[in-house]
Amino acid sequence: MKRFKQRWPIAAWLVFVGLCVFLVSRMQVGADLNAFLPGTPTPAQRLLTEQLRDGMVSRLILIGIEGGKPESLAAASKQLAQRLRREPDFLMVNNGEEGTLAKDQAFLFDNRYLLSSAVTPERFGAEGLHGALENALQLLGSPAGVMVKRVIPRDPSGELLHLLEGFAGQSSPPTQEGVWMSRDGKRALLILQTAAAGYDIDAQQRAVERVRGHFAQATGGLRGLEIRLSGPGVFSVEARDNIESVAFNFSIITAIIVSLLLLLVYRSWQVLAISLLPVISGALAGIAAVSLGYGVVFGVTLGFGITLIGEAVDYAIYFFTHLAPGRAPDKALENIWPTIRLGVLTTICGFSPMFLADFPGLAQLGLFSVVGLIVAVLVTRWVLPNLITANFAPVAPTRFAGRIIALIAQAPRLRPLVLVAVAAAVISIALHREPVWSDQLSSLFPLSVEKQQLDQSLRDDLGAPDVRYLIVVGGKDREAVLERSEAVAAQLDALAGRNILTGYDTPSRYLPSQKTQHARQTALPDETQLRANLKQALAGLPFRDDLFEPFQQDIAAARSQPLLTQARLQGTNLGLQTESLLAHYGDGWKAMLPLRGVTEAQVIRQTFDQPDGSVILLDLKQESDELYQSYVHEAVTLSAVGALSIVVLLFISLRSARRVAAVLLPLAAAVVITLAILLAGGQKLLLFHLVGLLLSVAVGSNYSLFFDRESQSQKNGAGKQDDERGLTMVSLLVANLSTTIAFGMLGFSGVPVLTAIGQTVAIGAFLSLLFSAVLMGGKVAK
Amino acid sequence: MTFGNDTIMRRLTSCWLFSLMLGIASMPALADEVEQAASAWTVTELMQGLAQVKKSSATFIELKHLSMLKEPLAFSGTLEYTAPGRLEKRTLLPKPESMVLDRDRLEVQSGGAGKKRVLSLQAYPAIWAFVESIRSTLAGDLDTLNRFYRVSLEGQRGKWQLTLLPLDSKMKDMVSEIRIGGSGEQVNTIEIREAGGDYSVMSISKGGS
Repeated sequence: MKRFKQRWPIAAWLVFVGLCVFLVSRMQVGADLNAFLPGTPTPAQRLLTEQLRDGMVSRLILIGIEGGKPESLAAASKQLAQRLRREPDFLMVNNGEEGTLAKDQAFLFDNRYLLSSAVTPERFGAEGLHGALENALQLLGSPAGVMVKRVIPRDPSGELLHLLEGFAGQSSPPTQEGVWMSRDGKRALLILQTAAAGYDIDAQQRAVERVRGHFAQATGGLRGLEIRLSGPGVFSVEARDNIESVAFNFSIITAIIVSLLLLLVYRSWQVLAISLLPVISGALAGIAAVSLGYGVVFGVTLGFGITLIGEAVDYAIYFFTHLAPGRAPDKALENIWPTIRLGVLTTICGFSPMFLADFPGLAQLGLFSVVGLIVAVLVTRWVLPNLITANFAPVAPTRFAGRIIALIAQAPRLRPLVLVAVAAAVISIALHREPVWSDQLSSLFPLSVEKQQLDQSLRDDLGAPDVRYLIVVGGKDREAVLERSEAVAAQLDALAGRNILTGYDTPSRYLPSQKTQHARQTALPDETQLRANLKQALAGLPFRDDLFEPFQQDIAAARSQPLLTQARLQGTNLGLQTESLLAHYGDGWKAMLPLRGVTEAQVIRQTFDQPDGSVILLDLKQESDELYQSYVHEAVTLSAVGALSIVVLLFISLRSARRVAAVLLPLAAAVVITLAILLAGGQKLLLFHLVGLLLSVAVGSNYSLFFDRESQSQKNGAGKQDDERGLTMVSLLVANLSTTIAFGMLGFSGVPVLTAIGQTVAIGAFLSLLFSAVLMGGKVAK
Repeated sequence: MTFGNDTIMRRLTSCWLFSLMLGIASMPALADEVEQAASAWTVTELMQGLAQVKKSSATFIELKHLSMLKEPLAFSGTLEYTAPGRLEKRTLLPKPESMVLDRDRLEVQSGGAGKKRVLSLQAYPAIWAFVESIRSTLAGDLDTLNRFYRVSLEGQRGKWQLTLLPLDSKMKDMVSEIRIGGSGEQVNTIEIREAGGDYSVMSISKGGS
């Protein structure tokens, strides 16, 4: 019977861990961008989300080739581009080479009478043609003549020039050696558009690997050349790799350091091995729970797993410290169990509100922490005692106990110092003039500062500022969307005339609606009519008589040419452009019209304020900033709820306002000073700092609850030995050291999100223990 | 996000602007206050002389002979040069139009439409090369000229002709030859011969408007 009693928890635990391993092995690590997209978005946020997930913006890869003379950079750029153009993974490969644009030029010219918005019956009447010819003459006389003179016999009305006007306001990188090159000639530039959407990280990863592979092959003979990649997809891939490798490496490093600490204190391999079991079980369970609950596990959540080491190992430390010869292992925790249980409940109270977060990253963190800690503490309570033989007792660190008690007895002397520090911190926070919160969604992105700078410098070199304003046109099918886009384009032309924007792009420029194309086609006069009109128009102008034969042939051909379809655009850059601007979403179609050089967004917003939502002006920056603000707001609210529920829990458990105050005071002091330190360090707070503060309260509450317990038992004269009390204090110190190490290490991870949590908890947890000793130690070590 | 189009745009406008530049390149160096150069006459000395000119203004008459027209087109207006890099060409007849080149910046404004375009030369190497044909001549910058052209000089100090042959094959497709004629530190004529046989001659009279 005893045997069974001993074994069933182990069996249950093994089955559970097996299940978790199975779930974890099948988990999907999610796109990190998705971690930042809201669960229940507004229509504008949904558009933003779509753009970030699979819009054209999300499919760009920016490339810089560096480390050589301009000639070798250009050669590498050409070879790489040539190889990539054969890959179906890339819809567009552009390095500024001219040959690649022949198809686009031919497309624009051959279809100019279907594409040009200037085509009307009047334009090809005698009067209209006369005006056009006068303009042509002026152009010929002007310095533009050299280029225009080749086109005028076929296009006297200037439809090609009119089409090109539409591109005004776009900038492009400088060319050197026939390819795009930065001003200083140190970086050849390319732009790719992937076939796969930005959110498909596996596909993005394949694309990135393909680029690197081709680059290596293309430049096999050229030493020193390096390739730098950037863009949303590349970011997601690197963020995932980065956070996975950081999670892995730092878990190992932290585990080793914490292990050394445990070895130093307990001098037993067995203790060490068993101590890590709750941690591992908790981490596996946490990930498995998130995987089950959300389908995907975000990289950030995974990275967070490390932090659990620091916290969950505490339970094993409490357990081993209270093992003693002659006492059954399962009795070791009996005395302190109520305190541990309260500590765990405190943590659960603190983190549970996070489940409700609309910000999926935050919700996953909440679920992960709560499940992980519960499992860790259950394993410590019911599995560990059954894993060791009765009477097993590690070398009790009693030698430290006396000294610790002596130190704690001295600690209260520091009270004035704590008071001064808290006052100073409060003043410093109150006087903090810079913005407290980082205000950009991108600050949540798990990317290093260098990567963000690389992206910026590539964008600067390419003259490709971020698209900020986008008009999104919706409709039931492609034609409806194109027709509506044409109406919007006409309004935008009028606004551009008032200098409210410099230009825009629209799919209807390359693929006008069938209706419009048909109208343009019927606007063209027949052969006889055109001949008569032309003859009349030429009167008084110095053009040679037979000059415009090619024009008449082209018009005749245009009158009978089939209307353009998306298929006709295939193989051109314009076709890709159209595809990226015009797409099927859900139950309808959408067209994106990116705007350039917007000076008065408000005017545009008023112009397109459609009550039915079929035309929306999307301000990507404002939307993402607002989204971020809503996350910050949410995190603040949920943390407040969490903190409040901790207070309520303590009142219910301790049933004494004095005790609750005593337990909370050191934690509050630690939080205030930690916050002051972070701000004084010049940091702008991420909402993960807030999570870190909450976590340090959760961890710190264990310490102050133990101090509370010891001072209560002292008061009640429970007659505990000094040794016992000393051991508890030793275990607190070891637990605190391991927590500080684990989180402190994260502070060096270089991933902003993890650094934020790491720094905050390391400082917060350390101060919590220190202040518990200073403020509550007097009653313990009497 | 519209890079494909950017390039088309760049390519086509660069041709267009390239030709714009043909006009602005038809610029004179007009010597107002210069010192007498030595008697022996070489390209280097011509350049040194031209480099002395800090500011000049003139009027011009330009005739364009185009095969597609029955008669040549005539234009007139004013020119202004300020060392080292500013050129202004203001066409007054038959229709007003102005072009201002200042260091890396080119600004074009056609009077009627009131439309103004500004672009950076560094982004358009072909135009840049073309601009330097005249600007480097005016500035007396032989190194830059040699970078883009085969440069030869005929005649005497009192009456000379500088011939520039483009080195770049793309430029050769457009322009076969640029001839700049002058006397002393003054540019009198600029003749541009295009690849197809069309040509333009600009005559420059010193003295400003």
